[in-house]
Amino acid sequence: MLLNLSHVDISYQGSEKPTVQDVSLELAEGERLAIVGESGSGKTTVIRAVLGCLPGGGRVSGGSITFEGKNLLDLSVDGWQKIRGKDISMIFQDSGNMMNPVHTIGKQYVEYIRVHSDMSKKEAYDKAVELLTMMNLPNPENIMESYTFELSGGMRQRVGIAMAITFQPKLLLADEPTSALDVTTQAQIVGELMYISGTNAAMIIVTHNIGVASCLGDKLMVMQGGHVVEYGKTDDVLSHPKAEYTKTLLAAVPEIGGKRYV
Amino acid sequence: MSEEAGIIMSVEHITKEFPAAGGKTLRACDDISFHVRKGETVAIVGESGCGKTTLLKTIMNMQPPTSGRVIFRGKDITKLTGEDKRENYRHIQMVFQDPTAAFNPKMLVKDIICEPLLNFGMVAKADVERKAMDLLAQVELPPDFANRYPHNMSGGQRQRVAIARALALEPEIIACDEATSALDVSVQDTIIKLLVKLQKEKGITYIFICHDLALVSLFCHRVTVMYLGNIMEKLDGGKLEEARHPYTQALLRAVFSTDQEKNQRIAILPGDIPSPLDLPTGCPFQNRCSYCEELCRKEKPSLQEIAPNHFVACHCSKRTTV
Repeated sequence: MLLNLSHVDISYQGSEKPTVQDVSLELAEGERLAIVGESGSGKTTVIRAVLGCLPGGGRVSGGSITFEGKNLLDLSVDGWQKIRGKDISMIFQDSGNMMNPVHTIGKQYVEYIRVHSDMSKKEAYDKAVELLTMMNLPNPENIMESYTFELSGGMRQRVGIAMAITFQPKLLLADEPTSALDVTTQAQIVGELMYISGTNAAMIIVTHNIGVASCLGDKLMVMQGGHVVEYGKTDDVLSHPKAEYTKTLLAAVPEIGGKRYV
Repeated sequence: MSEEAGIIMSVEHITKEFPAAGGKTLRACDDISFHVRKGETVAIVGESGCGKTTLLKTIMNMQPPTSGRVIFRGKDITKLTGEDKRENYRHIQMVFQDPTAAFNPKMLVKDIICEPLLNFGMVAKADVERKAMDLLAQVELPPDFANRYPHNMSGGQRQRVAIARALALEPEIIACDEATSALDVSVQDTIIKLLVKLQKEKGITYIFICHDLALVSLFCHRVTVMYLGNIMEKLDGGKLEEARHPYTQALLRAVFSTDQEKNQRIAILPGDIPSPLDLPTGCPFQNRCSYCEELCRKEKPSLQEIAPNHFVACHCSKRTTV
């Protein structure tokens, strides 16, 4: 198993009860897991715990998280720096916000590559251009010279994905990667994610769009109020949902050609 | 039903241009026309930058159009001024995308809901609480919410309060600008059911701006699809699967479903929306369209009625398969 979460509780400062309780999951190499749930269900908290970057005094207060046999909870700051951004990387909801708006994309991309490897500036630049090209971005040299606000949402997201896969991570975490995008752009980005998962990266996709989750996930986890209410193979969950909440959620997804209210 | 029957608002040839840097003009809406019938829901669908919000602001009389008119209650409302303009707002109300941003956080819910009534002198100050409870009941919220602040409730409850405020003046038209986009799916579902219920009870007309074709297909009577400031297709909400415009078809094929078989048919529309400052001559959709031919690059297609109540602006609509 590549990643193993066993009975994980996550608490934030100031709250008595853990915000997320008893989450267990397993992820094999190249496998894709989609976590769905509504706002406040704790889905983002789970993947942030995997990356060791819980905000605001959050901490894993019970259970264990192992990655390639190593206990992630025991890692030192140095240990994290070797893994984060290299073996485990993250795609954010709006990749524009994760970058510095007053530096060009190229400058930040090259810096990121050189922090995690001993490439020269020139090599790092070429590597960045190669990855941007792979993400179907037209004129990658131009993009390297651009600032984040000069790109459209879809282009920014492609840059974010290109950065995340630079070091061929074993595990990719994606936090609502398509939620800020238009429908046609969303389909494009889901296509890119499918493509990179072909490169053997395992993936955890957090989304509130159940359609996207159904399309991307081999496995599906449904969360509500900090608890896992359903977890299993995507096809099984979709065709035979067991939990009442999953049924409600699936029934609420609008479908083309579905039952009309008028 | 005859062509004219039941029409309560006619949007006629609305064009809206904004001056842009370098002496250019940005045409956000280009010759937009449609009718709104009483008790029906008209959806305006499109992606960001297609001009749907600009169009709504023009219909709401928040900004004047460059040319064209909006006929409502027998008058061109874009020409109204002063008291007439204020009076007109009584009949068209609005529900916004983000209910948190739409309220004054320091006002109690009862004051929020009754503010429009007080503005028009339609309720005595002493009756505010009772009236607010009435309206809360209509949107299925408990009466004690009247004395809460907006931050003391969930997003879905806030959106219900926003609907209650819009209902207060008993308007003929309620315009919803992405009114459910910020909500979770199960909450979205209950809000849509509420809107439909209110429509059946009171015969309210909705103009519903949205980017989600699947949602629109569930409850809208008429759907207008926009791209780069132009209407691409107008058709009945129940007949979306008969769409003939390549852009509408692309939108339909980009909807992810919980049905894995449908997900197999997801098709990716290549490219990005071109800059609205630098539009090509001819069809605005030409650079992303797989049917594009010589004529599309030269001449902009106009809306043609290809079936009753089904209009398409495409030179190739005969070739596009359903």
